[in-house]
Amino acid sequence: MDQIVSIDAATKDYRLGKVVVRALRGVSLAVTKGEFLSIAGPSGSGKTTLLNLIGCVDTATTGTVKVAGRDTAKLSERELTRLRLDTIGFIFQSFNLVNVLDVFHNVELPLLLQRRLSASERNQRVLDLLERVGLAEHIRHRPNELSGGQRQRVAIARALVTRPMLVLADEPTANLDSVTGQNILDLMKELNRTEQTTFIFSTHDARVMAHASSLVRLADGKLSENGAGPNAAELSEHHSAPGSAVLT
Amino acid sequence: MTGYFETLSIVVQIALRNLLASRYKTLIVGGIIGFGAFLVVIGTSLLDSVDRAMSRSIIGSIAGNIQVYSSDSKEDLDVMGGWSFDANQLEPLTDYARVKQVLMSVPNVAGVVPMGINSAMVMSGNTVDQALARLRGLVNKQRAGDKSTELASAYVAERDHVRQIVSVLRGDIENVKLLHDERSVATEDLNAVAHAAAPEFWADFDAEPLDHLEFLENKIAPLATDADMLFIRYVGTDPAVFARSFDRMAIVEGQPIPEGQRGFLFSKYVYEEQVKLKTARRLDKIHEARDIRHSLIKKDADLQRLVRESSTQVKELLLQLDAPKTALFRQKLQAELHGTEADVGKLLSQFLNTTDENFDERYAFFYRELAPSLELYRIRIGDTLTIKAFTKSGYVQSANLKVYGTFAFKGLEKSPQAGASSMMDLVSFRELYGFMTEDKAREIAAMRAHSGAKEVSRENAEAELFGSAPSPAADDGNAPAVDMGAQLAGLAGSHAHEEAAPTGYDPAQLQQGVVLNAAVLLKDQTQLEPTIAAIEAAGKSAGLPLKAISWQKASGLIGQFTVLMRVVLFTAVLIIFVVALVIINNALVMATLERVREIGTLRAVGAQRRFILAMLVLESIAVGIVFGAAGALAGSLLVVWLGHAGIPAANDIFMFFFSGPRLHPSLAGKNLLLALGIVFLVSVISSIYPALLAMRVSPREAMQAEE
Repeated sequence: MDQIVSIDAATKDYRLGKVVVRALRGVSLAVTKGEFLSIAGPSGSGKTTLLNLIGCVDTATTGTVKVAGRDTAKLSERELTRLRLDTIGFIFQSFNLVNVLDVFHNVELPLLLQRRLSASERNQRVLDLLERVGLAEHIRHRPNELSGGQRQRVAIARALVTRPMLVLADEPTANLDSVTGQNILDLMKELNRTEQTTFIFSTHDARVMAHASSLVRLADGKLSENGAGPNAAELSEHHSAPGSAVLT
Repeated sequence: MTGYFETLSIVVQIALRNLLASRYKTLIVGGIIGFGAFLVVIGTSLLDSVDRAMSRSIIGSIAGNIQVYSSDSKEDLDVMGGWSFDANQLEPLTDYARVKQVLMSVPNVAGVVPMGINSAMVMSGNTVDQALARLRGLVNKQRAGDKSTELASAYVAERDHVRQIVSVLRGDIENVKLLHDERSVATEDLNAVAHAAAPEFWADFDAEPLDHLEFLENKIAPLATDADMLFIRYVGTDPAVFARSFDRMAIVEGQPIPEGQRGFLFSKYVYEEQVKLKTARRLDKIHEARDIRHSLIKKDADLQRLVRESSTQVKELLLQLDAPKTALFRQKLQAELHGTEADVGKLLSQFLNTTDENFDERYAFFYRELAPSLELYRIRIGDTLTIKAFTKSGYVQSANLKVYGTFAFKGLEKSPQAGASSMMDLVSFRELYGFMTEDKAREIAAMRAHSGAKEVSRENAEAELFGSAPSPAADDGNAPAVDMGAQLAGLAGSHAHEEAAPTGYDPAQLQQGVVLNAAVLLKDQTQLEPTIAAIEAAGKSAGLPLKAISWQKASGLIGQFTVLMRVVLFTAVLIIFVVALVIINNALVMATLERVREIGTLRAVGAQRRFILAMLVLESIAVGIVFGAAGALAGSLLVVWLGHAGIPAANDIFMFFFSGPRLHPSLAGKNLLLALGIVFLVSVISSIYPALLAMRVSPREAMQAEE
């Protein structure tokens, strides 16, 4: 089963006081394994809402959202949590590390929640990953002792430590300078290639979009553009790898 | 379940590190919890110790472990008398022999002490009355024909003493007139005192002593305001059994009431407080305060008041001085004070106006030089005391009892509560309470025979009383035949009629007859409640209306003191912990709101709600246990230290609560457990709401951009 995410006519309404905000107005999307998909769009276009639906931290008002073949509307809170834990890795715009834990423990945390691996297996996996993201020297540091880029690397390691099918990144470079952001994207792409991990990330930065293998645009809660590969206008000097996003 | 403990360990790690990260919040919350635990440990330890000490005081003085009285009584028994002088309205237990037999049949009962508690007025007679009575005695002897020179000189000395008294009284009354208001002194009194002080009065005295004495007794004696009526609480009991059963009881002066003899023992406390010459008592109090509590007159308003009272109220001393004593005092005081003042009143006033510098010297001087010439106690050991008490049916009954001595309870000598009751034999008690004693029964029989009264039974009383054949006198059989008029006259007078009452009785009377209550002493003191139940059951099966109460209930308000203090303590602790709960709750809610992103992240990456719940509750419990234990430890250390050092009893009342001069509190494991338990509970309860809030934090929160 190559289709990791399939969304069919999903809508999402929020109630803000008496006003109903229609954040998504019927989005359909399919994501297959190994994609490096960028969800682009200005602020308020519904990027985060869409990521929330894909990330199983929220459910659609209407329509269906299937993640790893499971309809999220039919899952309980506990099952959704378990689904997140086992199949999805999160990378946040503000890194969201646990400040009181050191780098090693931050990365190990999802494994501890999973309770599948022995201590030595966990140790091995965490150290390998930290090596991959270039933080082998910093495993005993606390997040507040690290730079922004280093923190996001920790977050990436944390997102990948359970070997999830899917990694969601919400504006992963928004809080980083361009060079660091570039490095982070390079890392993500490398992991995408070597681990065959599917990445979905939201951004409104054209340079970031350029890395995507496929791109969808959101405007006013709708996909505004169907297309395989990034829009030429937004492609700068970088050239993205050919993608295979199927937009229905 | 691989990794269960690792998961737990990460929860613990996050929790503890969060506590460290927000150490101010932790310190505030922990400080409150620690203080609460400290207070619980200290408070409960102190209260338990006071409870034990006081139980020793109460059980060892009058109450015994259990008090038994009639369940038909309208009021509850209070052996300590609460704070009032009223005796309890108890229904009598008519057959003590059976009561004792039933009580002793309960296996845990070691001994029974028969009792009755009542209060009475005692007329000690004022100085004038006593002097006049002595003078009258001397006059009577002379008139009986005694011409000895000793008698003649004794007569002169006593007569001059009375004359001295009259002049003191005259000075006194004129002072009152001067200081206050003309109208506050009756002209009649002024005239009487002027008449008695006049030289002519004394010129005629020897010729017609009886007339002059009558004038003095009727007109002058009532003017002496030191006329003293003592209110005394007493327990009527079997003195020997009482002394055996309450082994803290010790005779201080004199001797125990001999077996088979009527008699009275003053409580040493009452004897000192009420019977002793007030000046001497005041000096004692100042001496004690300076010696034991290291107070200083110049710093202590109470002591200053005592000095002022001593210095201004010298009349009490002056009235005791006849001419030779006046001269003696003048000479001694002039030497002591290095002055030439001739007025003994002023000398005494100056002498008693003591300061910290001269107090010890003057205190010693008073007891060495002056006291031997004074009656230090209005009632001496060996005197016969006329006690007038209201019987249960309301009329006044009196008894003349020899004062054999004073007694106190060891370790409680200074305690007004333990020293509240004096003691008399049970037979005299019954008489004063209006029960028919054998002697009274005989006396009434004699009177009846003498007056020709005949028995009137209830059934034919009407016919007897109102029928055709009138009987000369009637006796309702309940109250002894007494002349109410004579009784009331007796109440007004002092030592007026001292009929020769029999002083002995058959000791067997103590083992039977009427009692109001009985103290029960136990073999195993811990079996209090079961024994109470056993006694009441035994009473029921024997057909006796026995009500048994613990020493704590029997001592009324005083016994309830620790219960009351416990309520106060727990109210305080409750308030502290409610406040703590609110503060902790608020702190945790704030902390939770600050951590919404962290919690959301944890949820997003796959932490279940119960993980969040465990984390927050664990934080609270950790704070509770660490700081609670620290507070409890601090409290324990203080209690242990106090246990070694002892807490000094600040005043006489505390002597009773502490059962001695110092309280040595001890630590009980249950107090520690209680403190930790409460702290644990508060920690858990206070974290419930914040934990619920945290549980509801959506993983979406992690996705929000940082503000």
